[in-house]
Amino acid sequence: MQLKKKNIAGLLSVATCSLLAGQGQAADEWNVDSAILFYSETDRVDAVEPVISGKKDLGDDEILSMKLVFDALTGSSPNGAVPSTMVQTFTTPSGGGGGEGEDEEDEGEGGGSYTVAPNTTPLDPTFKDARAAFSMNWDKPVERDRRRNLGFNFSVEHDFTSLGVNGLWQYDSNQKNTSWSWGSNIELDSIKPIGGAPEPLSAMDAMNRGSDTETRTVLDLLFGVTQVIDRSSLLQLNFSLSQADGYMTDPYKIVSVVDSVSAEPVRYLYENRPDKRFRQSVFAKYKKMFTGKDIFTASYRYMTDDWGVDSNTYDLAYRFRLGGSYYLEPHLRYYQQSAADFYRYFLVDGQPVPGEVSADYRLGELDTTTTGIKFGRDIDGRQSWSIRLERYLQTGESSPPEAFGQLTQQDLYPDLEATIVQFNYSFVF
Amino acid sequence: MKNYLFLLLLVAVPLKAEIYNIGDLDLKAQHGKVVYLDFWASWCKPCRESFPWMNGLVKKYPAKDFTVITVNLDADSEAMHIFLDQMPANFDVYHDPSGQLAEQFQLEGMPTSYLISPTGEVVKRHIGFYTRDIERYEHEIEELL
Amino acid sequence: MKTAIRWLLIAGLLAASGCSSLGVKPWERDLLAREDMLMNADALDLAYDEHIYFSKEASSGGQGFAGGGCGCN
Repeated sequence: MQLKKKNIAGLLSVATCSLLAGQGQAADEWNVDSAILFYSETDRVDAVEPVISGKKDLGDDEILSMKLVFDALTGSSPNGAVPSTMVQTFTTPSGGGGGEGEDEEDEGEGGGSYTVAPNTTPLDPTFKDARAAFSMNWDKPVERDRRRNLGFNFSVEHDFTSLGVNGLWQYDSNQKNTSWSWGSNIELDSIKPIGGAPEPLSAMDAMNRGSDTETRTVLDLLFGVTQVIDRSSLLQLNFSLSQADGYMTDPYKIVSVVDSVSAEPVRYLYENRPDKRFRQSVFAKYKKMFTGKDIFTASYRYMTDDWGVDSNTYDLAYRFRLGGSYYLEPHLRYYQQSAADFYRYFLVDGQPVPGEVSADYRLGELDTTTTGIKFGRDIDGRQSWSIRLERYLQTGESSPPEAFGQLTQQDLYPDLEATIVQFNYSFVF
Repeated sequence: MKNYLFLLLLVAVPLKAEIYNIGDLDLKAQHGKVVYLDFWASWCKPCRESFPWMNGLVKKYPAKDFTVITVNLDADSEAMHIFLDQMPANFDVYHDPSGQLAEQFQLEGMPTSYLISPTGEVVKRHIGFYTRDIERYEHEIEELL
Repeated sequence: MKTAIRWLLIAGLLAASGCSSLGVKPWERDLLAREDMLMNADALDLAYDEHIYFSKEASSGGQGFAGGGCGCN
């Protein structure tokens, strides 16, 4: 299961002009940010993710930064099949549900299986993985008005490995009121699904395994402008392109083929996604400080790709400065996406199977709302801590017009609710 | 006797930054000395890095030939005081919260320093402070002395 | 929607280039120099969110570079 974050994070960690400007850090000191995040979906996935990141000023604003991330997931996740009025049984390439690790010598043999109760969303209970990721960035001024950042990142999971390099070039004009940035990121991913990658669109029971290892490359190009508007506000506009080539199918996800009259499942086919994906996005972010040092942040991103997914992301936060260096920051995010062209809730027996199809809910038409609050303290220029609590709600069309037969009484897109709790502590070392 | 004691006190107490109002700055009064004029602010990281070196300059070059004068551009004087508590200065600080002198000099970046000859001529301007250029900065001062 | 992107981009470029009158003097960056006013303030939060949303939605990336800051040196 691929968990890795899209690594523009390397670019996100660039500091253009010193981190603790004015106070706190001298050369020879590491600026450390540590955090732990707990993620819990109602009845589904739970995750824990500790992170530690450090930055060091090598002198004259040359900055080295490193980050280490661990990630552990357990729980169950929808496998893409629709609910039925009868019990359903699914096969799994790993050694059954529960705590056992998969036995790779059994590749090609039955592996395990799990059953799902009637009228419930089929969830694969063997969803569990651990990930470790490391990234490093070297950021250096070149002339008074230019900066260069080079970075690499590496991450490894049970069935997935990723390696990336990124570069960023920044140029300042108008006495540094305007900053122009160009960046690119190249990523190579290697996917080794447990039990081998299934033959696309093959029946689940047939256990038709294809190759052991699949690969994918991703190239990102980013262009951005940051403009200081006045003493207390600034605006950033970014434009980015992303081209992915290779294996983008989820090797564990299936699509139900249902009977043309009753709509009961007849068989399950492994999904198949296109082997290319081209994405474009525009992004705008605005920050303003008010008297009393409150800060308002707003951002918007529009994304579109050649899979037919269009999305809009709206994000708002307001940081209230309380006495004694404390702050309280409510946060709201609204996200909306359209379904991928090849997204289907289900297929109908007897009708031709499309070349590309997926029932993965994450490619469907959906709406998400995140509401959160963050409370923290900047103790001095050298230490700070915070607690963040967020609630994530994802909804989709539960009764699409194409539902018929028994499907009309099923919830074909159950709500996803998750709670996030995060603790941060930053210090100088 | 009183003068003697007063002199002793002057020697015993370490030199400390005097904070003046920018209106009190009279560069013409410095004629005859090489002046290192530095514009800084508490929120400027390279400024923080330049302080130990500027303190060193005051000790290194004789006070009759050379002086360091700095102009602080913090809009918030409290920030300036906190900075000076953490990073004491051996030179004078002129507080210019509205940036009037910075405007006059048409500062292009922070920090900016000017090397002024004993005749009051601006010989060098440096935008930014780089620890790797310290030797060069000192060489430029020594050329004037 | 591709037109929308193009317009946003053009607007952005015009705004940025036409706005050489916008901005502040180099000594007026006290507020912008603050850590919480950097464009990538709370970078760990941003990274966590990116990971969560990448795992649960079909969009990712395209967001924030660092930006702002004191403009020193």
